[in-house]
Amino acid sequence: MTEKKWYFDASNPSALPDDLVPVLEDKGIPLDHVRLCVKSDLSLNMTRSDTYLLLCGDDDLISISGAVSLFRRPGTTIFTRKNRLERRFETDEYDVFSLSALSDFKVEEQIASCRFTAKTESGDYILLANLSNSYKSDFYTFSRFLGEFKKDGKITPDEHASHGRDSMFCPKCGTRYIDEERKLCPKCMDKSHIIARCGEFVLKYKKEIVLLILMLILTSALGVLAPYISSEFYYDEVLDKSGEFYGQILLVLLIIIGTRLLNVFFNVIHSLVTTTIAANVIYDLKKVIFSSIEKLSLSFFTNRQTGGLMTQVTRDANTIYWFFCDGVPFYLVNIVQIVAILVILLVKNAFLTLLTVVTVPLFFFGMRYLFRKMDKFHIKRWTRSRQMNAVLSDILTGMRVVKAFSKEKDETVRFDKSSRALASAEIDTSTFATVAFPFMDLCIYISNLIMLGAGGWMVIRGTMTYGTLLVFIAYMNMILSPLGSFVNMIYEFTDSLNAMSRLVEIMDAKPDVQEAENPEHFPDGVCRGQVEFKNVDFSYEKNRKVIDGVSFLVEPGEALGIVGHTGAGKSTLANLLIRLYDTENGSILIDGIDVRKLAYDDLRQNVAIVSQETYLFMGSILDNIRYARPDATEEEVIEAAKIAGAHDFIIQLPDAYATVIGFGHKDLSGGERQRVSIARAILRNPKILILDEATAAMDTETERKIQTALERLSEGRTTITIAHRLSTLRDADKLIVIENGKIPEAGTHAELIAQKGIYYNLYRLQIEAMKNIGIEE
Amino acid sequence: MAEQNRTALKEVVSVTYITKDNAKFEKSSDFIKMTATLPNEEGVAEEKTWDRIFLHRAFPFDFPFAYISVLDADTKELGMISSVDDFDEETASLLRAELERKYYTPVIKKILSVKDKFGYSYWKVETEEGEIEFTMRDTFSNLLKVSGTRIFASDIDGNRYEIPDIEALDHKSFKKIELFL
Repeated sequence: MTEKKWYFDASNPSALPDDLVPVLEDKGIPLDHVRLCVKSDLSLNMTRSDTYLLLCGDDDLISISGAVSLFRRPGTTIFTRKNRLERRFETDEYDVFSLSALSDFKVEEQIASCRFTAKTESGDYILLANLSNSYKSDFYTFSRFLGEFKKDGKITPDEHASHGRDSMFCPKCGTRYIDEERKLCPKCMDKSHIIARCGEFVLKYKKEIVLLILMLILTSALGVLAPYISSEFYYDEVLDKSGEFYGQILLVLLIIIGTRLLNVFFNVIHSLVTTTIAANVIYDLKKVIFSSIEKLSLSFFTNRQTGGLMTQVTRDANTIYWFFCDGVPFYLVNIVQIVAILVILLVKNAFLTLLTVVTVPLFFFGMRYLFRKMDKFHIKRWTRSRQMNAVLSDILTGMRVVKAFSKEKDETVRFDKSSRALASAEIDTSTFATVAFPFMDLCIYISNLIMLGAGGWMVIRGTMTYGTLLVFIAYMNMILSPLGSFVNMIYEFTDSLNAMSRLVEIMDAKPDVQEAENPEHFPDGVCRGQVEFKNVDFSYEKNRKVIDGVSFLVEPGEALGIVGHTGAGKSTLANLLIRLYDTENGSILIDGIDVRKLAYDDLRQNVAIVSQETYLFMGSILDNIRYARPDATEEEVIEAAKIAGAHDFIIQLPDAYATVIGFGHKDLSGGERQRVSIARAILRNPKILILDEATAAMDTETERKIQTALERLSEGRTTITIAHRLSTLRDADKLIVIENGKIPEAGTHAELIAQKGIYYNLYRLQIEAMKNIGIEE
Repeated sequence: MAEQNRTALKEVVSVTYITKDNAKFEKSSDFIKMTATLPNEEGVAEEKTWDRIFLHRAFPFDFPFAYISVLDADTKELGMISSVDDFDEETASLLRAELERKYYTPVIKKILSVKDKFGYSYWKVETEEGEIEFTMRDTFSNLLKVSGTRIFASDIDGNRYEIPDIEALDHKSFKKIELFL
């Protein structure tokens, strides 16, 4: 019996589970007094039970803990089919708190569970609920609603909220969705839809597919014909005196050669067709997958491991091709062939056929069992080989540390352990295979024995000819030999289906950040460079704000500096401005236009970012700088490199601008890479330039030089600089300090120093550090 | 040599230890209150009361009740407890209960089923507190092997489950988890 689970729903937070209705009625609480109701799975005593926290009326915060039990309804017997059982919620604990006496609602995260607490009027803490992490996000929302209610006396449901935890589980079978957004249940997945979507790739080559299947049919028809000619026809009609073609051996030989030749011909055509569509289909698949992936927003790539994704893509493309071009046709043709042979055999001698087919189910189920078992061995081997590779790459990457602490011996032991584990799994796998499969061959052998015995007896009694017996044996083997692969079919098809659903998932995945349908452009295509953040909220994870109500304004041509601790949200601000992510609440405006409405081209053309992580593509330094503007002249490239302080080191390189990074073991240092990236951004000639710790890997002198150059260049250009080192920011017109996603301080350097706040402290610390090494500023 | 190192380290930093001699713990509603005489920022000992303190294990797997960090409401460390057992029975059980509550982790007694689909695994297990179903993403990396036989599983929501000794599991359960180890 699948019971409907009840979950908190932020779009309808007053919804009640049916279980609670009798409890509330019992306590005399009108149901429409319930304003909020949230569920947790742990009671106040940390025992697992259904616990609900309700806000009723204007001031009652009620905690109800208990469990659902099933009872037999009075008047029913065990034979009653319907409504025999009654659900009843048995209350164990019932507490009422007064909302007005409480404040500071907080979800306190612990190791693997949370506590929901509040403060009383006297300043003491009070525990309102315990919950496992599964209910964490529900309680965060609940806590927010409570706060709102205390403040404004009303609750505004989140209209756009997905329907609580309900949206995380398949409504049909209750299985957790793999991806909440996509609602794809691995159990109830619409398989035919997925196959149809992927089939499109193959069906493009209709003619070839038809040809392919035709060839397969012809080959198998010949396959059925061949044993007949070489045994029954040969022995009974040619070698036997009573035969119609007695003595015409040459004729038979010619027929045999003819069928062989035809067979070869069909096979060649089949292979030719296969190779062409295989390459094309795989190419098409990869192209579609790659372009779909590229369209996705950055969050997709941070959620999944990108490297694994690409290998998956390549493997999936092959698997999907296999399914449509090898798998399905192979099985179809084989099934047709087996049915045809069975019909022939039944017509020829029904009794002998049935006698020999008896062993088939035995063989079939035996094989299935073995394959399942084999599968487990394979998973084990796979896991262990993954483990060994992980250890290996761990040790090799950390070789510097290993050597520094002379731990070579210990690491050898560690590697040896995982290597041995893999070896033992491999031995298990092959031992099993070598022992088990020969036994299965015995099954085939048994059916041969039955045939030889019973058939021989029939030949002696004269009820069957010698030729027919030989045909029987040949056909029987033709049925039994593909059976092995039939057993495996189920697994191979499941595999393909997985690959296909991944493909459909990627093709259907909607980017979180999308260009507006009717994007706006800058008036006359000219961007002035004014940037404004208005009450911007953002969180990577639900309910945990990284940016919390941030507002600031940068006028065209101004230089803004952003300071703050690591993880305070500085880089997030930059990512939001260039729309790698979108804001949740509030808006970001460039020249008064919301970036979400701005055309991608206008945005990317006018805003450039140089970030901490610099990435140079394969190719020469010239290509890398020109990446921003492929039509830039050589002079422009050199100029940009000069401003970025890159020209001087580039010109020292043997191949100068044509230096291919990585070629001849020439790699650039972190600081050099940063300078190339800056040149790239300068070449773009953006109205708004964001430098996100862009000079962090350089020495202060180089940094200074680049800054002076940038300054000269920055006339009429808005610059946003994010830095740890305060000296980097000393020329900024305005500074903002980011802490915990908020802006507690903003102003010029002098103003902030006068405020004696966070900035002052940071500044003092850095100055002191300088003094310690003998530099006074 | 090691001794020398330690004295050298002590001159630079020192760990404040909270003992039965300098601190008293009390239950206050559902939480713990502490009154202790500890050095303040200037290093001068001073008696103070914290309405609510938090406990955190330094070595959560090996020493569940020793090397406990005592934190204030702003997660600033006030000091370390060497071992809960150093305190009187009443205090020790108070601290123990608080730690056990914070590190709440159902113990898996039996694995009823594991289904692996699309890289996710769906588990149905029997724990001391009844049957629990959970889902794991990337099963391989979310099974933490603490020692050769002790395992922690972390599910998709961040809940944890412990198997104290996989070899003590029944054969069928062991076979089910063995695939992932």
